[in-house]
Amino acid sequence: MGSLFSQIATVTVMNVRSLPRRLWMSLAMVLASAVVVAILLAFLAMARGFERTMDGAGSEGTAILMREGAASEINSVISREQVNLVEASPGIARDAEGPLVSPELYVIVDGIKKSTDSEANIALRGLNARGMAMRENMQLLEGRLFTPGTNEMIVGAGVLREFDGFAVGDEVRFGKNVWRVVGVFSTSGSAFESELWADVKVIQSLYDRGSSVQTVRAKLENPGDLAPLEKTIEQEPRLNLEVQTEQAYFAGQGKQLQYMAIFGRVISFVMALGALAGALNTMYTSVADRAREIATLRALGFSSFSAFCGTLAEALVLAIAGGLLGSLAAFLFFDGLNASTFGGSFTQVVFRFEMSPDLLLQGAWLALVIGFVSGFFPAWRAARLPVIVAFRNAA
Amino acid sequence: MTDFYLIVKNMTRKPLRLFLTCFAIFIAFLIFGAVTTLKGALDSGIDLAADDRLVVVNRINFTNPLPISYYRKVAAMEGVRNVTHMNWFGGYYQDPTQQLVTMAVEPESYLRVYDEVVIEPEQRSAWLQDRQGALIGEKLAKIHGWKIGDRIPISSSIFSHRDGGHTWDFVVSGIFTGENEQYDTGYLVFHYKYFMETQTFGGDTIGWLTLTTEDPSLNEAVAKRIDESFANSQYETDTSTEKAFNKAFIEQIGNIGLIIFGVVFMAFFTILVVVGNTMALAIRERTGEIAVLKTLGFSSARIFRMVLSESLLVALIGGLAGLAAAWFLIEGAKAAMARFLPNLVMGGDTVLQAIGFMLLLGLITGLLPAINALRLNIVTAFNRG
Amino acid sequence: MSEDVLFQLNGVSKHFVRGKEEISIFDNLDMSIERGDFLAIMGPSGSGKTTLLNMLGGVDQPSGGEIHFDGSRVDNLRESELTRWRAHNIGFIFQFYNLMPMLNAARNVELPLLLTKLSRAQRRVSVETALALVGLNDRARHMPNQLSGGQQQRVAIARAIVSDPNLILCDEPTGDLDRKTADEILEMLQLLNREHGKTIVMVTHDPEAARYAKRTVHLDKGRFEQREVAA
Repeated sequence: MGSLFSQIATVTVMNVRSLPRRLWMSLAMVLASAVVVAILLAFLAMARGFERTMDGAGSEGTAILMREGAASEINSVISREQVNLVEASPGIARDAEGPLVSPELYVIVDGIKKSTDSEANIALRGLNARGMAMRENMQLLEGRLFTPGTNEMIVGAGVLREFDGFAVGDEVRFGKNVWRVVGVFSTSGSAFESELWADVKVIQSLYDRGSSVQTVRAKLENPGDLAPLEKTIEQEPRLNLEVQTEQAYFAGQGKQLQYMAIFGRVISFVMALGALAGALNTMYTSVADRAREIATLRALGFSSFSAFCGTLAEALVLAIAGGLLGSLAAFLFFDGLNASTFGGSFTQVVFRFEMSPDLLLQGAWLALVIGFVSGFFPAWRAARLPVIVAFRNAA
Repeated sequence: MTDFYLIVKNMTRKPLRLFLTCFAIFIAFLIFGAVTTLKGALDSGIDLAADDRLVVVNRINFTNPLPISYYRKVAAMEGVRNVTHMNWFGGYYQDPTQQLVTMAVEPESYLRVYDEVVIEPEQRSAWLQDRQGALIGEKLAKIHGWKIGDRIPISSSIFSHRDGGHTWDFVVSGIFTGENEQYDTGYLVFHYKYFMETQTFGGDTIGWLTLTTEDPSLNEAVAKRIDESFANSQYETDTSTEKAFNKAFIEQIGNIGLIIFGVVFMAFFTILVVVGNTMALAIRERTGEIAVLKTLGFSSARIFRMVLSESLLVALIGGLAGLAAAWFLIEGAKAAMARFLPNLVMGGDTVLQAIGFMLLLGLITGLLPAINALRLNIVTAFNRG
Repeated sequence: MSEDVLFQLNGVSKHFVRGKEEISIFDNLDMSIERGDFLAIMGPSGSGKTTLLNMLGGVDQPSGGEIHFDGSRVDNLRESELTRWRAHNIGFIFQFYNLMPMLNAARNVELPLLLTKLSRAQRRVSVETALALVGLNDRARHMPNQLSGGQQQRVAIARAIVSDPNLILCDEPTGDLDRKTADEILEMLQLLNREHGKTIVMVTHDPEAARYAKRTVHLDKGRFEQREVAA
């Protein structure tokens, strides 16, 4: 008998070659592994896509001020007087035209969703040129910016994808107000892409908001440093506001989808247990099926270790095949899939499933674990199979 | 010894395999039961909403206000029986994460429109007389241990109190129950007038109107009349049935829900396919034994029944155990989830559906080997073995 | 046809189609087996002896000719009728015992009784009697894999006689056993034949085994070469 290595190689090749003979069992194992990997990847891709949308929206360098106790932008109100007080605060970046501060309004309007053909909430944000400049990753994809003082608006690429009637040139009616879409913008996939933007002054007058706004964004002098602003708020009783970085705000808004990601992990874990049971069954049956074959090899002088490795290798080959199949299916079905759900402010957030290489790697690991666990115990049994089986009758 | 004894002996001959098979089925049905119930709870808001109530909201979006004058105007319209108005308070108790469904309402008309709200007459009149009084649902009372006469501080994530802060003190005037068990009593209502007097914005806007018509057949006409009469005003309206309104609201959770349920159900069926395959092969392994039974004189029909019963038994054992586990899981999670999903109950249709799938699994996996057994030629079977 | 004839085969033939080729196992075979006979069928591998036994047992059907059992024709019965006929009239003994691995000895013996209308108590008596006859009363609760080959074959014999059939068909009953155990089994068959009047047809390739039979026929290339062998 040759070296241990060549023994293992011989047994492995023999086992793998005999797979087609046990076609249905082998397919079951592949399928079990594939489904677990596909489910895990689907949930991970969803969580990743949503995270990307939320994280991309929030900048460390921007502070967001809202009325104390307001959990989200929609609940906040800030008066003109308060805006002026904020503008005078230290800690805010300035340029030639003064402090980089953007007072913004946030109104919820109805749009018709393509997928369900029913009404869903969209955020209509009122802001000015400074506010737009503050979103560093904003890019105009089509058309032009709105002209201040007119009923013009620009729409996020996500809105265009998920809702009907927001193409450039379209007229959009909210209540009795008619708006004209003049451009499409992108913010590299972040949550702002799910919004409509128009001039803050026009929205103030059309929606009876007087001179009040809902939130104030301010460019920080030193990114992440809120201390000067916090001090201003503390010392000025008229400022019943709360300040946080935009990043912190959006991270908080993304919380509810984190629950979905946890839910997804729990489901994939439990499902993995079920599929593992199926895979173990397959491998045990495979060993039982080849008991005579294995025993005969052992009688010929092959070591029990080579029998062990052969069976383990068979399980790994099947599980990896399943993992590849599952990843491929997940990639084809889920990568770039458009999805939308409620964000934090009662409005729709549009995002895309994102299947990145590191997720695929996680899927591959899972497949390996399934292969190893479902191969190890049956392989153990194969290794301990008494040689005498070879001489018994099949009956 | 009976045929049943034979079936059980056949089934348990490889305990490990039986365990693994049942376990996989168990998991599949655990997830099926839990996820279907979850989905049912999400959808229940639609089913429980009354079909004969109409909701009037701002055409721009339901989060935008309407003027209070609309209340009188709609009340005077032909075909409208009762109408009330409500404001969303954005309430929470102590901590912003402990959200409470809280609404400021016009008390008398509220109780007329929501006639499924059941309340003792003395509590009712106590509430109507006490401006600071709040009416709370039985479920809410249970969760927080509130009793009549308790002073409860409720905060708003939207409004500020005139005296500073965001917290209002209410007195529990009454605790209501629902006309039937499904009615969700997990909310609080209080006086609109008290709300308007104490909040900083002042003004007299309302959130939305809810109304009943003289007859459900008039719904469409009434809705149209309302929307037309406010067309081209500063506040245009959008009137729909409460059911349609709730449905649209739930649909906003988006295709995320659809995608998740789709993925889970695909996985459920895949596990069944994997398990079914093992079950079918387990029986096929016994071709030789079946041939012996036939030689001994067991009829094909009898063997067919035995094989089929075995796989049905395996499917039902694993499946029912999984369903039971799902039930326990849901009962356990019920209290924790009560605020988000008030109707987290495993419905009879879920159970029936699950049992249907179990039978299907048992039949499909058993049928093929059973038919093979039926057709089995003893001579070839022995040559093979 | 004599009253004593249990089996009568008239012009029985059997063909197999393998691929495009038609293989004839035997052609126009005549044979009669009398009640109380102990017949050994010998022949080289592939001579068709097992096929013949299968046809006698109604497990296989002839391609042509007629088989009469106890005066009535059985080769043209429908499968369900054959199954019932088998349950009533025939006990089988196989080379590899073919016990149900998940049933203990007593349960294995009881198996054919599930096909009768006997009560549970009656069945227990029958099982005990059959096991006593093969000398395995003390092994009733043992599982097949706890028994030796000879013991397993004795359980199989008990199973074959428990429902008291007239005819016992044995296919190489000692093929898997050592000489001493084989002799014990054969003596048992002889006893069943002599004391209990069972008709036995046994296929074997072992001349020693055939010596226990009342007579032996040799099957070669589908033809009998008949010679009486003194028991």
